[in-house]
This record gives sequence, structure tokens and C-alpha cells, in this order.
Amino acid sequence: MMVYAPLLFLFLPVVASVIVYLIDHIWVRRSLFLVQIMMLAMFVLYAQFLTQHPDQNMLVFGGWDETFAISFYNDTLSLAFVGLSILMWSVLLLYTFKSNRNEPKFLFFFMFLEGIFLGLLQTNDLFNLFVFLELMTVIITILIVYKKTGPSFKAGIFYLLINTIGAMFFLLGIIFLYYVFGTINIQLIKANIHLYADRNIVKLAFIMMISGLSIKGAFFPLFTWLPKAHGVAQSTISALLSGLIVKGALYLFARVAIDMYAGAQYQTQELLFYVGATTAIVGVIFALVQKDLKQILAYHTVSQVGIMVMGLFSNSYLSYIGGLLHIFNHALFKSLLFLGVGVVVTKFHTKKVTEIRGLFRTMPVTSILLIVGMLSISGAPLFNGFVSKNLVKYDFKYDMFKMALFTIINIGTVTSFIKFSQILFGQKTQSVIVTDRKQQSAMAILAILCVVIGLFYKPLFLFFFNLDLSYVKLFDLQQWLDYFLYVGIGLLLYHFVIKKDFKPFKAIRNLSISFENANYMFILYMVFIAVFVFMYA
Amino acid sequence: MNPILSFVVILIGVYGLATSRNIIKSVFCVTIIESATILLFLNLGAYEGGLVPILTELGIEIVDPLPQALMITTIVIGSTITSLALMLCIKIFHHYGSIEWKVILRGDK
Amino acid sequence: MIRPSSLIKRISLVFLLGGVLYFFIISFTDFKEIYNSAGKDFFLLNGLLDTGSRNLVTAIYLDYRLFDSLFEAGILLIAVSGVMWVSEHKITEKNANFMLDKQKTPELFITFSRLLYPVMLLFGMYVVINGHISPGGGFQGGAIIATAILILYYIDIRKTIEVNLILTIEKFLFLFLFTIAFISYFTRGEFFTNFIPSSMGMDAQVFYLYLLNILIGAKVSLGLIAIFTAFLKEGR
Repeated sequence: MMVYAPLLFLFLPVVASVIVYLIDHIWVRRSLFLVQIMMLAMFVLYAQFLTQHPDQNMLVFGGWDETFAISFYNDTLSLAFVGLSILMWSVLLLYTFKSNRNEPKFLFFFMFLEGIFLGLLQTNDLFNLFVFLELMTVIITILIVYKKTGPSFKAGIFYLLINTIGAMFFLLGIIFLYYVFGTINIQLIKANIHLYADRNIVKLAFIMMISGLSIKGAFFPLFTWLPKAHGVAQSTISALLSGLIVKGALYLFARVAIDMYAGAQYQTQELLFYVGATTAIVGVIFALVQKDLKQILAYHTVSQVGIMVMGLFSNSYLSYIGGLLHIFNHALFKSLLFLGVGVVVTKFHTKKVTEIRGLFRTMPVTSILLIVGMLSISGAPLFNGFVSKNLVKYDFKYDMFKMALFTIINIGTVTSFIKFSQILFGQKTQSVIVTDRKQQSAMAILAILCVVIGLFYKPLFLFFFNLDLSYVKLFDLQQWLDYFLYVGIGLLLYHFVIKKDFKPFKAIRNLSISFENANYMFILYMVFIAVFVFMYA
Repeated sequence: MNPILSFVVILIGVYGLATSRNIIKSVFCVTIIESATILLFLNLGAYEGGLVPILTELGIEIVDPLPQALMITTIVIGSTITSLALMLCIKIFHHYGSIEWKVILRGDK
Repeated sequence: MIRPSSLIKRISLVFLLGGVLYFFIISFTDFKEIYNSAGKDFFLLNGLLDTGSRNLVTAIYLDYRLFDSLFEAGILLIAVSGVMWVSEHKITEKNANFMLDKQKTPELFITFSRLLYPVMLLFGMYVVINGHISPGGGFQGGAIIATAILILYYIDIRKTIEVNLILTIEKFLFLFLFTIAFISYFTRGEFFTNFIPSSMGMDAQVFYLYLLNILIGAKVSLGLIAIFTAFLKEGR
């Protein structure tokens, strides 16, 4: 019976969302919490079941031959993501319930998205993946324009058109693969890819799929939709977008480009590593010159995605694990930061860093939670960012150039969060603040998880994944000294350079790419990758 | 020859996207790309003498039915995206008074 | 007017796209040898006996890949809800322009639409019901029925259709579709397939195909009618 649990992960939120829309009663909406708790419990039981029976992880629908029917497949990677998604959705439901409990349509779209995302993580059929990808694009567009203000329509249509183009190119890749292999089952293609790996059609399919997924994953130079969408959406949707949907694209990267094409052995590691490094550096530079709280966080997401790509595509196993762990940790602390900023913006009615002061005295609980988030993202020891960044950087000590790149990115991250933390200092400005216990408890859950992973990573990893992580030493004096050095350089940089807000900074802040130029960048990116793959792979 | 022509139509759609200054033109270029992708998929599987996959009697030479079933889904998805995009265009016109990308993407930073 | 920077951009774009076309052509020169016909042979041999439908495309999207069709119906539901939500009108918009009040349909259109409306409706229903023995099916016929009802707007532009009722019926149809897909677990032991076991012969399995085609046709037509109505009433 437990073998059918993947199906329930998909259908329970979808059916619940349709029922919430049909029946307009407050107790039906409160029962959504019950749905989330049931899914968490089922996830724990299913994970236990799979560790005991590891051969029952494929579920074929309809009882037909698995070559020609749709199937679901679960392994360690997808199970970890499923667990993270269910946890994040529960926390976000807790956060958003007070402000949105009278909006059944919002809850309808929100819960339907949960079902679709869980289906995307588990499916084993390429065309089913495309359908889920398009469904996700449509639902997120509707959630971005939910408030129906002028700027939100602008961001919404930009998001919709760019992501549809990416999905169309992904579909082209699926078409080419079907005609070569006769099936669209991912595990079967993975087993057979070495037979046809040197044919040009398979290379062309690889290029199309990578280009399509790069748009959704917000790589350089295609990340312009992300800051626009973050500027207008509610905090819950921003946390969802930055925390999970971009990671879903990276998960698909790991599934399609690394896992499925493993037998083909195209040597694209170096190329994608440098794309990731460029994304990280450009993201940090843009983040340093912004004045809007949410835009700083949005450009940060772009830069952390660059670090994840650097981890996934460098040639060592430790960096791969570090990249995957950074995907987790980033989901946790970036959502914490977005939710905290949401509370701050609602109470202060402004979004600019220069205008908010005195947060620590006005809202102490929120400030402490935000400080936890800031320390995690900058890689302070005792928090989870430290673990993943050290794993990614561990094998770079043999290559000075990569180490230098990583250090520059770290310093930039620390500096921009020093700028962000200016809102904490100062006098108390507002007197009467109504606290929302549900929002605070949601953020507190995320903060506690950050600290727990930061302190207890060794036993946790041994228990869940059988990995020995004693390489990363928590109390190594060298690492603490490095961190304080970064903070020192960051403070100097901030006071003498960033605070003055020179003319070039204004120019960078006002730089925006129009829609047709974004498409031109996409074509350049695709041709660049195509030339590389056809000549060197 | 037919697959190459379908791919040329896809590239015409991409060219249109990269040079159109009007939102409605961009939406129609996306529709062109989607229709041409469907054509490409069906063209690759067709061959001389292949019949429609309806078994009026057994043992005839048919074309592959799977691409056709997949493309039914793709057409529905494409039409829903077009309808949502066009409704957003109407709302943008009501708010900003113009449907050019340049006018819309500057202002209120 | 084409400025010099835009001219450079257009010429470089033509070159880049030419490069992509070149990559495509060199990949497809040896297509005939690579083409893998495993899928076609499987469906040709087993399609009719497994599912009971002569139209193999209907067999695929109603039996082998029913899971995909469920989510295709789902995306229609989401799109209709989204379009309805976005089109709700607030007073603060400055440039709202109500087109429909200004036009008058010509007399010729009205007469021909009165003639065409029952014919199109009948043809749509024929395509839906005969989906498993001739080209057609739920999705195609549903679109034809929706277009037929759109002709009503030509006849009388002020005739309104109650949209909220349509949306509620559509959600019930969606849940009903899920239920039918799940029933097959109890009769055959597998999800997402025909709930009449193949031991009862092909003539009995055809009932499932009729039922699903009619359900999908109804759902698609109701969804498209709601989208058309939202566009026509935009601004009321």
C-alpha cells in the first residue's frame, strides 16, 4: 500500500484545493493544515518504506509496459526535495494564513501548485515533465499578478512569455530524443544513451534542453525576470519563487543534464562552471547597488544560484554534495529573510533601505530572526551556510583561480548584507505594533532549522545519507579567522565605497533590459553553448 | 525537406520575438513558435505511404500515433497560455495606455 | 525607421539564427538510419486488443497516458480561473474602452449565424461521441462546440451566459474525471486505466471510451466558453 504514496503526494493537495474553492467555509480552509500534517506523516512513513525495500521505487500507471506508459520514480535526490517542499509549504501556509484566510482563490492556486511541484519532482516521463513545467508557469503568473496593480501585470507578462519560450525549447529537445530512442522514459533513456551519444541529434537535444532550463533557473544572462517578479509579488510568493521554484529548475538540471546524460560524457563541466561563476559575480554586483530591500534579496538569489551551479558542475564529489546541500540551505534561509522583510515592509509601509531604521528596538523578535538569516547566508560558523559553502570550496584549494573567484563572491555577499543590516540600528520609530503569532512561529521554525543543520550536520548526514562529513571542521580556527576577515573587509568596503553611492552605481541600478533584448541574449547564449558542445564534446 | 521548413518557421518566430516592440506582436510570435514546433514533431514522423493511425482493418502501415497524442496536449497548453497573455495585455493597456515594451518597462522603479 | 544600432542587431540576429539552422541541418542528414520505430510497432500490435478503440490516438490519450489528459484538463481549469480573476474590473483604471457598445452586427451575419448554429453544434457532438472510430475525440469536439456557442454572440450581443454556474459545473466535472480514473484500482488493480476489465471483451470496453470522451468534451467546451465570455465582457 505504501508504494502508492507518491500518487497521494500529488493528488491530496490538488483535490483539497478544488474543494476549498467549491465550498466557501472557514473550517474547510482551516482543514488545509490537517492536509499538510497528513502529508508530512506520509512522507516519513514512505521514506522508511523505501529504505527497507529499495527496489520498489518505480510506480507504473495503468499496468502497461513501462517503455510506453507514464511512471513515477523516487530515489534519494527526489525524496530529499519532496521532504523540503512539503516542509516549506507547511511553513508558508502558517505564515500566510492570517492575511489570506478570506481569499479562497489564493489558497486554491497555492495548494494546486504544491501538488504540481511534488509531481514534477517525482515523474519519470519527459513529456509529463513538460506538462507540469507549463502548469507551474501558468499558476505562478497568476500568483504574481494576484494583487492586480500596474507593475504586477508588467512583471507577470514578462515572466509568462520568457518562461514559455524556455519551455518550448525544452519540448524541442524532447522531440529529438523521442525519435532517436523510441521512448520518453527517463530511466530507459539513461540506460541507453551511450549507444547514440556521438550522434549530432543527441547533442542538439542536449543543447535545447540546457537552454530551456537555464531560463527557468535564472542563469546569466537570462535572469532579468527574477528581480521584476520579486519587486511586485507578496512576500509569500517571493519566498516560494526564490526558495523552491528556481531550485526546481536546478533539480531538473541535476536530473536531466547530469543524471540522464551521464553515459554520454559530454565534457561540459568547465563551461557550466564558468557560467555559474559569472552569474554569481554579476548577481553580487547588482545586489550591492540596490536601494530596495526586496531587490537586494532578489539579486542575491541569482548569485547564490551561481554558487550552486559552481558546486554541481565542478569535477569533485564533495563539491557536488556541497551544491545540493546549498540548494537546501538556501531554500531555508532565503525564505526566512523574505518572510521577515515581508513583516517589516507591512509595518513600515516602505521598501527602501535608507528609510527604515531602528528595527531592533521596535520589533525585537523579528530582528533576531532576521539576524539568524543574515548570518546563515553569509556563511558564519555555527549556521548552515557555513557547512555548504565549505563543502563547495573544499576542493578548490588545488586551484588558485577558482578559490579567488569564490572569495570575491563571499566578500561581496558579506558586504551587501552589512548594507542590509543598516535597518537594525537606530532609535525606536513606531510605537504600537500588532504581532502576528502565526507569522513569527513560521519564521522561527525556519530559523531553528538553520541553526540545527549548522550545529549537528555530522550526525544528521550520517543518519540520512550515510555520508561522512568530517572534512568540514566546525571549530577550526582558520575558518573563524577567515570569516572575521571577510566581515572586516566588508565593513571597510561599505563605509568607503558603497555608502557614497557614486554615479556608476546609479547607472547600474537603472540598467534594465527590454524584452526583445532579453530574447537576443537568449539566442546568443544558445549559440555559444551550441558551438562549445559541437566542437569540444 | 519538410522538417527543415518547419524549423525555419520556428526561427522566424524567434527573430520576431527579438525585434518586436509591441506586446501583442510578441504574444503572436510565441504562438508561431508553438505551432511550428507541433508541425516539426508531426513532420519528422511522416513518410510516404503511411496511413492515418485508425485501424479500419488490421495489419496496415500506419504513422506513429504517439506524437499526435502528445501534440493534442501541447495545442491545449499553447491556447491557454495565449489566452492568459492576451488578457494581461488588455489589463496593461487599461493601466498604462500603451502596449509598447519600451513605454511600459521604464517608469515606476 | 531603422536606426543603425538596430540594423546591426538585426543583421547579427540573422547570422546567429542561420548558425542554428546549420546545426539543425547537419544533425538531420542521417535521420533515416537513426529513426527508432519501437513505439509505432508496439501500438500497432497491441493498441486495439488492449483498449478496444480503433483510433489509436484516442487509445493513447484515454488509456495508456490518461494521467497526462487529467492534467491537461487541469490546466484548462487553472487558465479559466486565472482569466476570470484577472478580468474582474476595478474602477481606478483610466483608459478602459468599451468596444461592444459601439458596434452593430450586420443583418447578413445574423441570418447566417442562425442557420449555422444548430449544424455546428450537431457536428461538434458527433466528433465527440465518435472519437474512438474516426478522427476526433473529447478535446477536438469540445473546441468545436465552444465555437458553435460563440456564434450566439453574433446573433445577439447582449445575450449573457451565467459564468459562475459554468465554473462550478466545470470543477465538479474535474473531480468526477479524477474519480473515474481512480475507480479502475478497484476493478483491475491498477490506477488510471479503463475500469472495465479486458476479460469482458472489446464491446464492453467501448462504454468507458464514450463516457470519458463526453466528459472531456463537456469540460473543454465549458472552459472555452468561459474564456470567450470573459474577453467579451471585459470592462462590464
